[in-house]
Amino acid sequence: MTFGDIFALSQTNLWRTKLRTFLTTLGVVIGIGALVSMVSFGSGMQRNVTETFREHDLFRTIEVMPGGQDLERVMSGDLESAGEIRPLDDSALDAIRALEGVEIAFPEIRFPVVVRVGGDEAKTTLQAMPAAMGASRPFDELPYGGFFESDDARSVVVSQRVLRELGLAIEGEPATRRSTADSLKPLRQVAADEILGLEIQIVTSVLDEARLMSKIAAGDIFSRDLPLRQETVSLTIAGIRTRPSGFEGMRFASGLIAPTETVAKIPRMGFSSVWELIDRDGQSGGYPAIHVRARTAGDVTPLSDEIEAMGLNVLTISDQLEDFKRGFLIMDMVLGAIGTVALIVAALGITNTMVTSILERTREIGVMKALGGTEGEIRAVFFVEAGTIGIVGGVLGLLLGWGVTRIANLVGNAYLRPEGFAAVNLFHLPLWLIAGAVGFAILVSLVAGVYPAGRAARVDPVQALRHD
Amino acid sequence: MSELLAISDLEKSYDKGRVRIPVLRGVTCDVGSGEFVSVSGRSGSGKSTLLNLIGGLDGADSGRIVVRGSDVTAMSRGELARHRRRTVGMVFQSFNLIASRTALENVTLALTFGGCPRPERKARAAALLDSVGLKHRLDHRPSELSGGEAQRVAIARALANDPLVLLADEPTGNLDSATSDEIIGLLSRLNRERDLTVIMVTHDETAARAVSHRILRLLDGAIVETVDLVAEGPAAATPGGES
Repeated sequence: MTFGDIFALSQTNLWRTKLRTFLTTLGVVIGIGALVSMVSFGSGMQRNVTETFREHDLFRTIEVMPGGQDLERVMSGDLESAGEIRPLDDSALDAIRALEGVEIAFPEIRFPVVVRVGGDEAKTTLQAMPAAMGASRPFDELPYGGFFESDDARSVVVSQRVLRELGLAIEGEPATRRSTADSLKPLRQVAADEILGLEIQIVTSVLDEARLMSKIAAGDIFSRDLPLRQETVSLTIAGIRTRPSGFEGMRFASGLIAPTETVAKIPRMGFSSVWELIDRDGQSGGYPAIHVRARTAGDVTPLSDEIEAMGLNVLTISDQLEDFKRGFLIMDMVLGAIGTVALIVAALGITNTMVTSILERTREIGVMKALGGTEGEIRAVFFVEAGTIGIVGGVLGLLLGWGVTRIANLVGNAYLRPEGFAAVNLFHLPLWLIAGAVGFAILVSLVAGVYPAGRAARVDPVQALRHD
Repeated sequence: MSELLAISDLEKSYDKGRVRIPVLRGVTCDVGSGEFVSVSGRSGSGKSTLLNLIGGLDGADSGRIVVRGSDVTAMSRGELARHRRRTVGMVFQSFNLIASRTALENVTLALTFGGCPRPERKARAAALLDSVGLKHRLDHRPSELSGGEAQRVAIARALANDPLVLLADEPTGNLDSATSDEIIGLLSRLNRERDLTVIMVTHDETAARAVSHRILRLLDGAIVETVDLVAEGPAAATPGGES
């Protein structure tokens, strides 16, 4: 008996019990579908993170934070033994800029502002950034317009979110109003070219020292009327950006980005960070962070070591990537385990179907033995039946899983796009997953078929031929 | 007739709960090539067990069954499968056709196990069915056939791999008398025309007398009498034709 004969015999048997075969295969389809969609979600997440890191040049990025203090001791209130703070002042910034391998280093300067265009206004933060950042991701490819040319340019890069707060929607972009207060006001669809070059008013609050002094003189220092006055600066919109991704977001999430020297001239409160408030020596330039971009990814580790040697704290994306990888590995394992449970249930279905089939076909097995069928041939027939369910279930399950990921992707992006996120592929179906899923389905099916096939092979022909 | 089959001191017993029941007790006999031997006896006398042991479906406790020099009782499971495939063809009282397969497919299945090349199977199966008078029933399933037709399909299937011995276990047990005569006649014709050795288990000694060369009478697992119909005379020994 050739393999072709065994295959033909098993296919005939499966076809004979179409409904049962279909339902058993459906179990495998659902199991593999669940496994594929879940693992491809984990794989997609991992790929998106890695690609985002690469897209945004984050592998060249170093975040520098004040150092010197033992944060655990600070948290426990033991300030005396926590050590001296090594603040991020201008001398630290100059020292970092002087290091070999540093392409750009600029301090974190960010403060709240109100933006006005016509009658609309929006609250956001303004962040200072050197014009040189225009050559780096993501600012080298803004969706509309461009980055500012020089550090003293009177221009600004504005986020689409701020524009929506101002009642402006770019033609062709999803138009969902974010602000709850203005949610009922209709958005005005405007071509991007009309927004680029538009002058906007940046309003900041500064301390009105004259009013403060008069309030102190009048003994009225506890009233809710703060001694502040507003200053307005006009800047021109040079570029429009989409909502920043989650990974760059924390660092460059401000609604407005303006050149460093221009920002330095904008009147604001006398401090831009908590460090400036507690700087009792009155020195300027205490920054919450310094953003460093290395020339190459290979410069990051030596630079980090050198900056740490200055007594400063350093955070690189490589450190975070390791944490991410660990997290993704756990997520993949959990998702894979859920899918595997579904497949194990399907495998039990296969075993159940095969055992039932053997009970029904006991007499037939006896006939096959009486006609000279060997135990091996009879075992092979049942094995091929189980394998066929595995192959068909695996391939269809793969298609189901792929279909589910496509639909989930559409639904996911339908929610993400109006929120200002760029469209992403939430799922990733790598070749190893395609081959692995089908292979796993076949393997599980064959394992599920071991017991029934062995049982069929051991059927006593004399008893079987008497079986009703 | 040259000796085809030699059985000596064959013993077989079954366990029924804690009791061991002897079924065959020291059976010894020979069957010549081309001989038609009937085995008769009451229910439980061991007729079917004897046939199952010759067919290699079951194993003996002791004794030997030698078919053309090969001891069936000493065969491995693989060798027994080959023995069932090549040396013997079996016909059962309840036909044992596969219900989901047509007459042609039932015969083809035996050819498949016998290693017949795929392109030849259909033609050979059709020819076999034609030889048992079922040319017009090739595509009918067992449920669409009469008892006699179903048993003819079973006979065609048993002949598929040109066996040395046809073992028929009460082939007429489920048939009316007219159909029984037809089947007995068919077996007799095959015996005569193909020089096929036939061992038939039957209750119906009258029918057996008409076609057999010898009748072995079994009682409680032992051969108590051998009726040599050839020696008894031409009338008794000439097997009847197909009616």
